Amino acid sequence: MTTAVTIPRHGGTGGRTAVAARARQVVKAYGSGETRVVALDSVDVDIARGQFTAIMGPSGSGKSTLMHCLAGLDTVTSGEIFLDETEITRLKDKKLTQLRRDRIGFIFQAFNLLPTLSAIENITLPMDIAGRKPDAEWLRRVVDTVGLSERLKHRPNELSGGQQQRVAVARALAARPEIIFGDEPTGNLDSRAGAEVLGFLRTSVDELGQTIVMVTHDPVAASYADRVLYLADGRIVDEMLRPTADAVLDRMKDFDARGRTS
Amino acid sequence: MSVLKTSLRNFFAHKGRMALSAIAVLLSVAFVSGTLVFTDTMNTTFDKLFASTASDVTVSPKGAAVDDETPQSGRPESFPASLVEQVRKVEGVQAAQGSVISTSVTVVDARNKNVGPTSGAPTIAVNWSPNELRSVEMASGHEPRGPTEVVVDGDTAEKHGLKLGDELRTISVAGDFTAKISGIVDFKVTNPGATVVYFQTATAQRELLGKEGLFTQITADAKPGVSDETLKSSIAASVGGGYKLQTAAEAADAGREDVAGFLDVMKYAMLGFAGIAFLVGIFLIVNTFSMLVAQRTREIGLMRAIGSSRRQVNRSVLIEALLLGLFGSVAGVAAGVGLAVGLMKLMSSIGMELSTDDLTVRWTTPAVGLVLGIVVTVLAAYIPARRAGKISPMAALRDAGTPADGRAGRIRGGIGLALTAAGAAALVAAARAEEAGPGSLWLGLGVLFSLLGFVVVGPLLAGGVVRALGVVVLRIFGPVGRMAERNALRNPRRTGATAAALMIGLALVAALSVVGSSMVASATDELDRSVGADFIVQSGTGQPIVPQAQAALEKAPGLDHVTEYRWVDATVTDPRGKAEKVGLAATEPSYVRDLRRETTAGTLTDAYGKGAMSVGSDYATEHAVKVGDVLTVAFKGGETAKLKVAAITADTGTVDNGAMYTNVTTLAEYLPADRMPQSLLLLASAKDGQETQAYQAMKDALAPYPQYKVSNQADYKEQLKDQVGQLLNIVYGLLALAIVVAILGVVNTLALSVVERTREIGLMRAIGLSRRQLRRMIRLESVVIALFGALLGLGLGMGWGTAAQKLLALEGLGVLEIPWPTILTVFIGSAFVGLFAALVPAFRAGRMNVLNAIASE
Repeated sequence: MTTAVTIPRHGGTGGRTAVAARARQVVKAYGSGETRVVALDSVDVDIARGQFTAIMGPSGSGKSTLMHCLAGLDTVTSGEIFLDETEITRLKDKKLTQLRRDRIGFIFQAFNLLPTLSAIENITLPMDIAGRKPDAEWLRRVVDTVGLSERLKHRPNELSGGQQQRVAVARALAARPEIIFGDEPTGNLDSRAGAEVLGFLRTSVDELGQTIVMVTHDPVAASYADRVLYLADGRIVDEMLRPTADAVLDRMKDFDARGRTS
Repeated sequence: MSVLKTSLRNFFAHKGRMALSAIAVLLSVAFVSGTLVFTDTMNTTFDKLFASTASDVTVSPKGAAVDDETPQSGRPESFPASLVEQVRKVEGVQAAQGSVISTSVTVVDARNKNVGPTSGAPTIAVNWSPNELRSVEMASGHEPRGPTEVVVDGDTAEKHGLKLGDELRTISVAGDFTAKISGIVDFKVTNPGATVVYFQTATAQRELLGKEGLFTQITADAKPGVSDETLKSSIAASVGGGYKLQTAAEAADAGREDVAGFLDVMKYAMLGFAGIAFLVGIFLIVNTFSMLVAQRTREIGLMRAIGSSRRQVNRSVLIEALLLGLFGSVAGVAAGVGLAVGLMKLMSSIGMELSTDDLTVRWTTPAVGLVLGIVVTVLAAYIPARRAGKISPMAALRDAGTPADGRAGRIRGGIGLALTAAGAAALVAAARAEEAGPGSLWLGLGVLFSLLGFVVVGPLLAGGVVRALGVVVLRIFGPVGRMAERNALRNPRRTGATAAALMIGLALVAALSVVGSSMVASATDELDRSVGADFIVQSGTGQPIVPQAQAALEKAPGLDHVTEYRWVDATVTDPRGKAEKVGLAATEPSYVRDLRRETTAGTLTDAYGKGAMSVGSDYATEHAVKVGDVLTVAFKGGETAKLKVAAITADTGTVDNGAMYTNVTTLAEYLPADRMPQSLLLLASAKDGQETQAYQAMKDALAPYPQYKVSNQADYKEQLKDQVGQLLNIVYGLLALAIVVAILGVVNTLALSVVERTREIGLMRAIGLSRRQLRRMIRLESVVIALFGALLGLGLGMGWGTAAQKLLALEGLGVLEIPWPTILTVFIGSAFVGLFAALVPAFRAGRMNVLNAIASE
């Protein structure tokens, strides 16, 4: 039932394709025999480059697992995941770490920053770890975009929750990763701070051409995306392009109702 | 759920985190109980030995030295055989036996190798009598039957590969004589290490005492129904007051007292080191509980929110500490018994035989171990427990994943600085002290206060010192180094306490190494300044030099002169009638060339004139004695002389400080020949240009007398250095225990920090920190903590050592030498300690699953 959403857009001619990441027949199962639980059930998905994709679904639908697998944080039981043209499911930890460091950015729900480092140190951390010099011009632009120029020397505990998440966004953007994964990045924020952060993410897609994948259960957050994928019971069951909050909410209710009646 | 139940659950839930603290308690308790078991076992061994050898009543000459003390004359006090007959006739005496016992002997095998013990135990030569069968049994061969037969104990025979028929040469003041081994005996009880040889009675008298018909001791046994006490008074009535009488019980007590001094020194020294380990362990326990409480803040807040009282929370932490103390101590006591057995094996390997049959575990040992372990653990956990009690119920609601960075308070800084200043002031006072007594008190206070001060102020210093170290060590590691530095600094109190634990051990190492090198440097300096002799001859065991060895030595070609140095006890009375017991050095006129001494009055050569002597300046001042005054000198075992003071030596330096000199010939006028003390040491100088040949010739001449060693100045200095070095190594070895506990502390802090920072580690791994980088970060943090501790410890220790040297300058330790190579080695070594301590925590951090780490609360 997943073929409907796999719309191949890449030309397959090498170089940078229109698809930033894709999953093929990805299965993620825990346990075995009687206790076997399937979190992802033969998922096929393409993440379009330069787009903001939201993954939605009820608790336990496998949305976080899918993101973790796409981001090389978690292993799959079977299937293949490509980041650009790199097949990542068979990479060793060392290569995978390098891949995350150089090609992927992360924004988590909470605890995004190292408490011992200042805001700017947190932002440049992935590049520091890699031993790369940050591009000063780009860095300034990112920092300006997220509106943090005044607070760069502050430690995380001197920043508000919204500011902390903005630092996390800046960190994800600063290294110019091919793709940024957000795991409920606004889950811990009030609606105003959340809107701010989502606005930055939207801007970075529109103005900087960034690819973003975000897991959320908040219809308002999902409405910032270009495309929403719906997961249920480990499968992609639907998708919505150019969503609005109301449309997303309706669709969710729909799923809930179906879930109860079936 | 009761408080106890919560504690139990918590304890077992965190048993991994408790393990290192438990090991620290275990080690300290093991050291204490091991020491107790070991010394108790030694006591049992000696008790059995004394009980097996003592007869009902022993009669010996009044002036006789105790068993293992060798008389200066090299000849034990004796009495004629008729006394044995007299004792035999005393009413109540069943049997009486005369015996000859001498410890002033050296026994060598056919290859001139000393078969005596190397452990400081004596070589004992005894006449054979059936009485000996009480303590030994003939293992092979037969008793000595003629003047050329000797029986040796089995332990010695085994150690030196002696068999029946082998020749043994016995060296005593009375001369050398060779006998063949006719029998080998085994002890029925454990012989802790003495070498024992037996001769036929007449042979023993002739060869040990120089004359037949003499005995050194009578052992008398009572008739049935006669008590030892009654027998003792009957014999006393018969022989008169000139003899020392001991019942079996008294003899055993005397023997026990004799070894008790040595055993006590050993026991208290080892307990002292165990105490240091405990002190270090306290830091570890405080840190562990602080961290556990911090990590459990939300949990405790929840407990408080649902109605636990402060006291209950407090108590639940203390109960955990109690359990920790209990487990650690029980295991520690068991390990202590093992340690004692190990020590006994170790002692056996250096010549002190101890048997596990005598293993003595008194009820006090586990009692002391358990009480100590539990009390110390609970006390150490008290502060964290109180802090736990103060956690507000609000903590449950706060998002307190990691505890807030601990900011060390201003009050703490004030107290720490005040203590440190007080300590420094006391150390300065000690360094400037004019007298040793108050000086050592100042030193003790200075050490105590400066240590406390450093412990208190340590967390405040952590910031500056770690940053400074960071600049030197960490910056080269880039962002990983920077993160390591920040991590080490994020909880200064924890870093401070962890480093302080290491600091204590290293401070002692540094202080002792400073004192040790200053000792060697001072002695070397003194030798260079005052000793003119090329060579010194002495025995390693304090045995005086027998005349035949001296004669052999004097024949060595290339020698300019050999100077005797004899020591005699005397009572000296000044012209005003004030008497004092002193030792006099009886030597020869050439001694003034061998040892240069300043005089404050008179000329030292005149003191070697007939009827003359010299005194030290301290004595002269105290007794208002001037050159020309006549002193009354009552030589022990001889006559009383009137000697004129011809010179007063300046009491400076360490060699012969305060000695009174007189000529050997003067002494000979007042002492009978057989009471003349033998030379304690000989000094010699070669003819000009023949130093090398003379040195070799002297070595050759002394080859048949392996108990003596000849050294030239260079070798002597080297030996001195080696001796101090060996002593220091033993002390370092004992301090290693405290350092091991401190290392456990570093491991513990890192391990708990890793757990505490699980989410951070997960985050860093997620955004691309490699395993290697992560491990390196943890290792660097560990290295920085260790170096911080080392820096504090070495600084503190050098301060202590310098103050101690300045104080000891009063005792002649005039030269301060800081052993920079040692200090530097310890500093660099502590970096490796840090690396080592980080091994397991770094490994575990590297193995953490990234996703779980992110997800963990």
